[in-house]
Amino acid sequence: MVAAVGALAKTSVAKLKGQEAAPATQAPSAEALRAELAKAGKPVLLVSSKTLGQTGFLMVSDAKRDVLTWSTPDGATFSQRNGVLIQTRGLGADLMSAEVPSVGQLLQAGVPYQRVYYFLGADDQGTRRTYDCATSIVGTENIDVLGRNHSATHVTETCTRSVSGGKITNEFWVEGSMIRQSRQFVSSGIGFVDFARVID
Amino acid sequence: MQTSSRLLAALALGTALVSVPALAEISGTLNLNGATGLIDMPSGDAQKDATFSFSTSLIGPITRSTLSFQFSERLSGSFRFQTWRDWDAVISGDSEESDRSIDLRYQVLKEGKITPALTIGLQDLTGQGLYASEYVAATKTFGEKVKVTAGLGWGRLGTDGGIGAPFGSRPPVDPPGTPNSDQWFRGEAAPFAGVEYKVNDNWTLKAEYSSDAYVLEGEERGLLDRDSPFNFGVEYQRNPYMRFGAYSLYGSEFALALHIILDPKSRATGGIVGKAPAPVEARPSRSADPEAYDGGWVTQADAGPILRQNLAKRLAADGIAVEDLAYTATTVQVRIRNGRIDAGSQAIGRTARALSHVMPASVEVFEIVPVVNGIGASKITIRRSDLEALEYTADNASLLRERVTVTDAGPAPAWSLGDEELYPKFSWSLRPVVRLSEPIEGDIGLRLSSTYDIAPGWVLSGSIYKEIASNRELSTSDSDLPLVRTDSSRYNTFGDPALEKLTLAWFARPAENLYSRLSVGYLERMHAGVSGELLWKPVDSQLALGAELNYTRQRDTDGGLGFDEYNYDILTGYVSAYYDFGNGYLGQLDVGRYLAGDVGATMSVDRVFANGWRVGAYATVTDASAEDFGEGGFDKGIRVTIPVNWALGTETRRGLDLNFRPDGGDGGARVFVDDRLYQSIREYHTDGLDPDWGRVWR
Repeated sequence: MVAAVGALAKTSVAKLKGQEAAPATQAPSAEALRAELAKAGKPVLLVSSKTLGQTGFLMVSDAKRDVLTWSTPDGATFSQRNGVLIQTRGLGADLMSAEVPSVGQLLQAGVPYQRVYYFLGADDQGTRRTYDCATSIVGTENIDVLGRNHSATHVTETCTRSVSGGKITNEFWVEGSMIRQSRQFVSSGIGFVDFARVID
Repeated sequence: MQTSSRLLAALALGTALVSVPALAEISGTLNLNGATGLIDMPSGDAQKDATFSFSTSLIGPITRSTLSFQFSERLSGSFRFQTWRDWDAVISGDSEESDRSIDLRYQVLKEGKITPALTIGLQDLTGQGLYASEYVAATKTFGEKVKVTAGLGWGRLGTDGGIGAPFGSRPPVDPPGTPNSDQWFRGEAAPFAGVEYKVNDNWTLKAEYSSDAYVLEGEERGLLDRDSPFNFGVEYQRNPYMRFGAYSLYGSEFALALHIILDPKSRATGGIVGKAPAPVEARPSRSADPEAYDGGWVTQADAGPILRQNLAKRLAADGIAVEDLAYTATTVQVRIRNGRIDAGSQAIGRTARALSHVMPASVEVFEIVPVVNGIGASKITIRRSDLEALEYTADNASLLRERVTVTDAGPAPAWSLGDEELYPKFSWSLRPVVRLSEPIEGDIGLRLSSTYDIAPGWVLSGSIYKEIASNRELSTSDSDLPLVRTDSSRYNTFGDPALEKLTLAWFARPAENLYSRLSVGYLERMHAGVSGELLWKPVDSQLALGAELNYTRQRDTDGGLGFDEYNYDILTGYVSAYYDFGNGYLGQLDVGRYLAGDVGATMSVDRVFANGWRVGAYATVTDASAEDFGEGGFDKGIRVTIPVNWALGTETRRGLDLNFRPDGGDGGARVFVDDRLYQSIREYHTDGLDPDWGRVWR
């Protein structure tokens, strides 16, 4: 499965270049990939979007208090507060800012709270979308992150918008107090993006 | 292996295009006239707010090209260019006749649970009257697939199946080109009706009963036979931007339509492109590192040039040039020239971020002065600690705006450090140009432009145009007024290549809230001379007042430097009031003396969008008689600016400007001058910055 991630990345890039997909056998093993990524001695976040068919390993470009900003080499960024996505830049349909739950809040199943997303809407006007959210604990799961096994609490966050009835479901796998893996909403243009903390 | 954000963005665009349902279907669809309606008949519907469409239709020997704009949720307008071929089929004369027409439509009632949508429309309200008609149309949706329309038409739309003249008989148009208000809703009225059936998101079937007898095309000119009042058609919505139609008309003709539908509110590329900004650089806390906050560095002689260099280097990545830098231990003022980013707020945000990296920790106040044509447009003051505190805060755009002040730019501090690389500086460009005089008439060519920035506020610039291809014809003006505009075809024909412009301009700030411009030279291809302008516009005022005075001589048609052909000179001038009504609606009133010596007023209304789209209309009435005014009766026109960044997603401030003046005569004409003040500075005043202020964090 892990090898498939690397292969996906290669495949999608090759496709976009209009070439034949590289044979999957060329993809490095998860262990080799992890060893390569660990060399820098810095945290690494695996970001992938099924809708976009894109996968990449990102490094931290800015760290301030509880916010880490991860960036791609060509200038797109994802900012997370303790692992919860609060901003993106350079994606086109960006999440400009957000009021988000803490990890502690995510683990308190059934306790309602509000989540607010801020976008640039029609004609670049600031647009606010407020959701009423609550989480539920699915259970403890063993997840594989690039060849490494992690035991994490699977949390589902369900958010509904009273105005339109719009619904967003984010998924988190919390290991201790850290979000190891997640699937979070970015914007209606980008949809959901998967994150996995590969190297701490 | 690394994610490519450009690819992400490109793919996001692809999915966005596929997943968005045919939005135009929710609102009304367009008819053969490029107006909201059935096939040849209008309906009670409207388009989605701000929809801009370009329609071309072929109806046997008739071609209609129409630009339409949904100016507000209820009001829409169209500008149409119509051509009849085989015009000499019965009556000898020109084989082709063409006519321009302007429509206005107002949706009185929006569709409710029981009530239908109701629209009142005026078609061809200022032309020769070839297409003049008025109507009231009601449309009701049944379920999700069926729409039924019924209406009553006057003028052309009252020529078949009339039920009498409820408001009296219809007088002839007199004089042609003026608003035909005497005719409105007069004469025989006739009912029309139709049904639309939406098969699915892509396909729609339409059928209608037409009240237009096609008297002109049928009985009078023998262009087509009208055998039946019934029309049938099928339409295909390929994507949100394109719609096709094929129709059987009047039992004898086949018709085709193509509509290109644009939404100025949403970029064709799905979002704002361009790299993420650099993060704000955090200062160490004062208690942890008090020495960092020591202001002693200001006394170092080389501090200034180094800081300016570092700042310029960072901002160059965003196409921003540093005109001046001045600082004390606690405050910095940087004057910037934004060359590329389409939103003023984003240019300010990028500058603030760069300052956070460059300026020593003791500097707490950032004053950013955007400079346009060498003069300060406004001063945005941001506290550095607010920038640091709000970077990752929810709703940081509104929170920062509350803490930021926008004031008059004021003069550059006397101790500021300019950049010797910016002045004097020569730059040039060679670009292909499309010059349209009608939706389908004009020329394409190459324009060589150059600019020499002599000193801040002093610009020498010029351009030469060489035509490559044109479908305009040489015509002779029969205007009774001085031929200040109607000889344009002579300028096109004889002046190729032509020196379009060669001017020296001086921009200045005579006092607080005042802006001035003086331009001397070959101002435009038909007129040369001196043009001076003074504008009063406080940064947070919705109202601006201006005055302009020009003395010009008419140039020779050969595009050279001479003035022998016309021996015409004139003093023109205007007082102007500008008002920002909010939500992007701008109004302007100019009163004064025009190029042909006529005295009058111009009223214009524009809708501007934060992304640079601009659609407007203007009308000029002067003391020149309607006959003297030329074909048009009075001067009116439509202007459109489509920004390149909206269409292609590239980071640029350039745009495509279109200006349509149907029957443009010599009356109500003004000299064209570059860089009139209001347009150039408004972007950095509060009414220009606030609509898309959120981009300050982009």
